[in-house]
Amino acid sequence: MATNSNKTTDYKLTKKDFKQMNIRNLFFNQVGWNYERMQGSGYLYLILPQLRKMYGDHTPELKNMMKMQNQFFNTSNFFNTIISGIDMALEEKEGAESLETVAGIKAGLMGPFAAIGDSIFAALVPAIMGAIAANMAVQGNIMGAILWMLVNFVIMWFRWIQLKFAYTQGVSLVNEMQGQLNALTDAATLLGVYVVGALAATMVNTKIIYVAHLGKMTVNFQDKIDMIIPKLIPALIVGAIYWMLGKKRMTSTKAIFIVIIVAVILSALGILGKAA
Amino acid sequence: MGTGIAIWQVIILTIYSMYQIMDELTLQTSLSQPIWAGIIAGLVMGDLKTGLVIGGSLQLTVLGVGTFGGASKIDANSGTVMATAFAIGTGMNGQVAVAALGVPVASLMIQTDILARFANTFFQHRIDKMIEEENYKGIERNYLYGYLPWTLSRGIPVFLALAFGGPFVRTAVDYMNTNLAWLSNGLATAGALLPAVGFAILLRYLPVKKHWPYLILGFVITALLSTLYGNVSLLGTTIAGIDSKFTTAFAGLPMLGIALIGFALAAMQYGRTVKEQQVVAAKPAASATDSNEQDGEIHGDEL
Repeated sequence: MATNSNKTTDYKLTKKDFKQMNIRNLFFNQVGWNYERMQGSGYLYLILPQLRKMYGDHTPELKNMMKMQNQFFNTSNFFNTIISGIDMALEEKEGAESLETVAGIKAGLMGPFAAIGDSIFAALVPAIMGAIAANMAVQGNIMGAILWMLVNFVIMWFRWIQLKFAYTQGVSLVNEMQGQLNALTDAATLLGVYVVGALAATMVNTKIIYVAHLGKMTVNFQDKIDMIIPKLIPALIVGAIYWMLGKKRMTSTKAIFIVIIVAVILSALGILGKAA
Repeated sequence: MGTGIAIWQVIILTIYSMYQIMDELTLQTSLSQPIWAGIIAGLVMGDLKTGLVIGGSLQLTVLGVGTFGGASKIDANSGTVMATAFAIGTGMNGQVAVAALGVPVASLMIQTDILARFANTFFQHRIDKMIEEENYKGIERNYLYGYLPWTLSRGIPVFLALAFGGPFVRTAVDYMNTNLAWLSNGLATAGALLPAVGFAILLRYLPVKKHWPYLILGFVITALLSTLYGNVSLLGTTIAGIDSKFTTAFAGLPMLGIALIGFALAAMQYGRTVKEQQVVAAKPAASATDSNEQDGEIHGDEL
């Protein structure tokens, strides 16, 4: 592997390079997202100035590298620069000979990082921060939304520092982090499940409005249900939708419309209503 | 009732909806979330409170929707902008606006999102050509052209709907409030129910089978406490109505407190898992991968 016949200009990345890559990542990542290669052109755009410095303009090496870096790529936009950092460390060391290794590393890492990045940053953080922000918002309080933005700025800081970190740690990084990441995902998903339980109990404002009149006796169903456990109806509704989403060819959009239609019907029949 | 939507309001909301999609793709400051769409549209329309309620409501509806990698999702942000603008502009009930306007607009805009992602394929191929020609500036230029499809996919529909939808929506609202009371009640109920969809989607993406005891814990702790808090504050308002000397106000159940209990539970689990893995790591390396597989439920869900 480590033959020294790499046809590079022996350029070493500087602080300025990392800053440039980070700015390109934070402000321009995914601008070119398309169905064919997804973040493909974005990956190239992010490291293009560094590639040009490493291989020199108008060299066949640069052209080959650009072609490879412009292929299909898609991963979590919170972890993508970890892959770029490892890539840069490799290319700096082995030059154009790293082409196949880099292509392999990109393809091999984008899946795992997409999975963990999506489960934490696309699902959990928006779920928890969104729940807190929405809960405060419906009471007329803007602080939850501001808190969410602050959290996202902290996340941005992590996105900024991870590039340099990945570059210095190089390839060994992924193996080392694996165990900790698993434990973190486990704890984070636990918190997610717990919070959804809490949300079901507070944010689904509905109740049975049907009151049966049997002769002189009236039966208020909601009162009876509250004696079993409060908020049982919201829990059952979430459960029913959860079951429905498991059906084949069911999408979230379809589910939303089914819920709207069923709610209008049940409300028109005087069974279900909005809780105060 | 409402005073309609002025042209300057249409323009600011259009610019915001163009900005939000770029924020979603790049910085992710949370400004692209429905909650902020509600706040910004509320401020522009001059009624922050309505904006907060509509934004909060749509935020809950899409809680779990963000998880699909690369797939188009319903554009709850534009839906919120629309629902908030028309609710304030035409005096529509907030919950009705969410179900009757917010959700349909949000799901219609999946189509423009798909269009944008297709359009960018064109620039991707232009970049191929620029690489062949070694035109480095051209590569960067064609990459940044991606701004056009993305921003227009949000800006055009939002502008058209806000600019020309007003009279139509107002007539529909008047009719619904008078002749179709059952429908607007139903839509209000639907609006209250929609968050349940968000929660259910989220559960589909979380390892419920593994963590189900925590689902029960979260639900029961919150159901009991929120009933207690609700009843106490109801009692407080009632007594204050009878006796003017009673001035104590009771706050609602703080969600952050509930979340912190969950955080503590998660921290304990983290400690346990790390300890388990250290025990495993001490054993021969071959068995390490096996035990990782055992608790790998999330991986199965992800695939």
